[in-house]
Amino acid sequence: MSFVRNILSGDVDFNKRLNGSNFTGFVHSAFKRTFNIQCFDSGELYTIACRSIDNAPNTLIVDTENTSQWNIEVNDRVFVEDKILYISNKLALNISQAITWESLLPPYPSNEEILLHNVRWAREYIDCQGKGGGIKKCSKPLNPFEAETCKMLEQRTKSLLNNLAMNRIDLAIKHAVSLVGLGPGLTPSGDDFLTGLFTTLHMEHSPLYEHRSFCEKVTKKAKSFTNDISYSALEQASIGKVRESIISFVNSLLIENEDDLILSLNKVLDIGSSSGTDLALGLVCGLEANIKAGGKPC
Amino acid sequence: MLVQALIKPNTYFDSVSLMSLSTKANQIDGVEQAIIAMGTEMNKEVMKNVGLLTPEVEAAGTSDLIIVVKAETDELCETAFSKINDLFTKKDSGKKGKSDVKYSTISAAAENNQDANLAIIAVNGAYAAREARKALENDLHVMMFSDNVSIEDEIQLKNLAHEKGLLMMGPDCGTAIIGNTALCFANAVRKGNIGIVAASGTGSQEVSVRIHEFGGGISQLIGTGGRDMKEEVGGIMMLDGIQALEDDEETKVIVLVSKPPASSVEEKVLAKIKLCKKPVVVWFVGGDEEKITAAGAHFAKMSKEAALKAVLLAGADESKLNKRALNIPLIEEVRTKLTAEQKYIRGLFSGGTLADEAMHAAMEKFDNVYSNIQRNPEFRLKDRYTSQEHTFIDFGDDEYTQGKPHPMIDPSTRLERFIQEAKDPSVGVIVMDFVLGYGAHEDPVGAFLPAIIEAKQQAEQEGRHLEIIGYVLGTELDPQDYDEQINKLLAADVTHASSMQNAGLLAREFVVKGE
Repeated sequence: MSFVRNILSGDVDFNKRLNGSNFTGFVHSAFKRTFNIQCFDSGELYTIACRSIDNAPNTLIVDTENTSQWNIEVNDRVFVEDKILYISNKLALNISQAITWESLLPPYPSNEEILLHNVRWAREYIDCQGKGGGIKKCSKPLNPFEAETCKMLEQRTKSLLNNLAMNRIDLAIKHAVSLVGLGPGLTPSGDDFLTGLFTTLHMEHSPLYEHRSFCEKVTKKAKSFTNDISYSALEQASIGKVRESIISFVNSLLIENEDDLILSLNKVLDIGSSSGTDLALGLVCGLEANIKAGGKPC
Repeated sequence: MLVQALIKPNTYFDSVSLMSLSTKANQIDGVEQAIIAMGTEMNKEVMKNVGLLTPEVEAAGTSDLIIVVKAETDELCETAFSKINDLFTKKDSGKKGKSDVKYSTISAAAENNQDANLAIIAVNGAYAAREARKALENDLHVMMFSDNVSIEDEIQLKNLAHEKGLLMMGPDCGTAIIGNTALCFANAVRKGNIGIVAASGTGSQEVSVRIHEFGGGISQLIGTGGRDMKEEVGGIMMLDGIQALEDDEETKVIVLVSKPPASSVEEKVLAKIKLCKKPVVVWFVGGDEEKITAAGAHFAKMSKEAALKAVLLAGADESKLNKRALNIPLIEEVRTKLTAEQKYIRGLFSGGTLADEAMHAAMEKFDNVYSNIQRNPEFRLKDRYTSQEHTFIDFGDDEYTQGKPHPMIDPSTRLERFIQEAKDPSVGVIVMDFVLGYGAHEDPVGAFLPAIIEAKQQAEQEGRHLEIIGYVLGTELDPQDYDEQINKLLAADVTHASSMQNAGLLAREFVVKGE
């Protein structure tokens, strides 16, 4: 065995899964700071990430700078023995001391005043600092493909939000599905936008909370429309489970602390290339839809 | 035009790599369009809409990576695929140095770089003040490149810096040289014993390169930001800058550069000069000689004069200096070439103070000088797209840069205007600056050359001589090739002026006859 490392923290459900039964699987994909494992039994994806990545559903955080040093390769066998997660004979991850983390969204506030102000502020901030080329239009598209992608994203997000606002859920589902797999990057912009939007529908007491089943309906219809990695995040978001940086951003939208808001929004914007911007805009649009549905103008 | 596709089955790259590869693939020679994306149904729909759908793309799955290239020939497509494959291979080979470390906050950057003592703030103006405050609170000097910061924030920041004994350069400060390191739009100049405090970016660049040309060197160049000399701000940074240079052992002579300051600020600055133990040269565009000399300072009417006085005060031997006098025979020659109708100068500048200096030279002889930066509202351009009589335009002014980079980086707006002015039969002389240095366009003269050649030919066909004066602001140490830039001007039959002062004076003298 070449390397042994401790797991620093991990998603509560993933921890349970590893402790409770004979987990076996294989490496699905490997990147510089993360690799994904696919479970043989369920086909579900799990992620092993280095410490610079935030906690997320189905994710374990390892005490390391990067994961590429271990030469993890696609199809490496994965199994658990005595609270140790083995990746072939290359790596042993000690899960016994991992701090458990759970994706818990805050409830929607009874007084929307601060939220309303912060959402407006966040939209302006994203307009200035967000990355274009996905949901946010790019001032100079790289090529006609990018221009057309941005145009389609704009039309489809608009149609989705309009129908959601008018309670036409079937039509909203249709337009949401048309966004899945649309856009650049490993997690297409449409998927990231929906992840953000789904998050807001799972805030307890939110005006659109009653429509949260909309999210699962979309993901069920869209399974074959995007790649496994992106689908995994979308599927988790459809049941209200999202990564830690998104939860921090939602939390800071509910309080009056601009420093906190900038820090947490920047962390979201730093995700991927344009993914963070797409996610943040999904969240902002979702919250605006909630505020409208609650009767206050945005 | 051919469209070819390459599919990489079950291939995942992180989004940042995909975007970076996509941008580089679109820059490959001969490629009209290159797409690198996941093979989802929706992405295929986009490809269909833009005419890039091939049978291979149609057959690709959601976990496949699609590479599509549109180019003129098979050969170009093949070459592009080969280059894109190279890009994929090279993706992880680069080693990252310390300079690649990215911090989310000023505090984190300060904590992890204990030796750092200066922060450059170049974020959107709406957030710049907050970041600058954090930097000052972390005991860092600040150079704020950002503009659109409120004057209230500027005053607060400058007061905070003053209390803490720090420099607050900016907002809208584009030029500084601190500890022999050029920051933002500065030129590469020799290190020396002359310190500059400037409320003008290109003004300070001009003085620094002239000092360099006269054999002198710069100890520090402290920028204040253009509003520092306004009454509301009160010259806080100008006064602190003078003090900093007085305390700086390397600095023997101080030069102050500014557009005309508010009179209350000018008084404060002159009072400060009176107490200063080092010789001070003052070049305030349109400044009052009597007041300045009464304060014990050395008055300079123009930029070259300021540089010359500074190097002489720093100990240079005047007899050995080439002061680059005006070429009088050339003035006579050009006057004979211009028709009676060709009465006007059009000054098209990327540097604000350069425009101001040339405009002031013209105002000494003409009373019909218009500009977007004229202080007298009567002589402000009524329409920024249309010149009036003698016109001098600062293309770096906000009204010309909305949504566009500064003309020192992107010459397009000024180039369009040049073409327009060259067609005007009442124009005798067009005078332009070409600014070199860090951050500036890599070939500013080259960007204008085809248009200059065409304009000259067109004028000749119409039976008139179009006189163009070009001034290259730079040094032989700048990243661009200084000599090559001048040679390009000369090859296009452009009159090369050796300084901004000479450019302004030549432009004025060339058309005096027509007035």
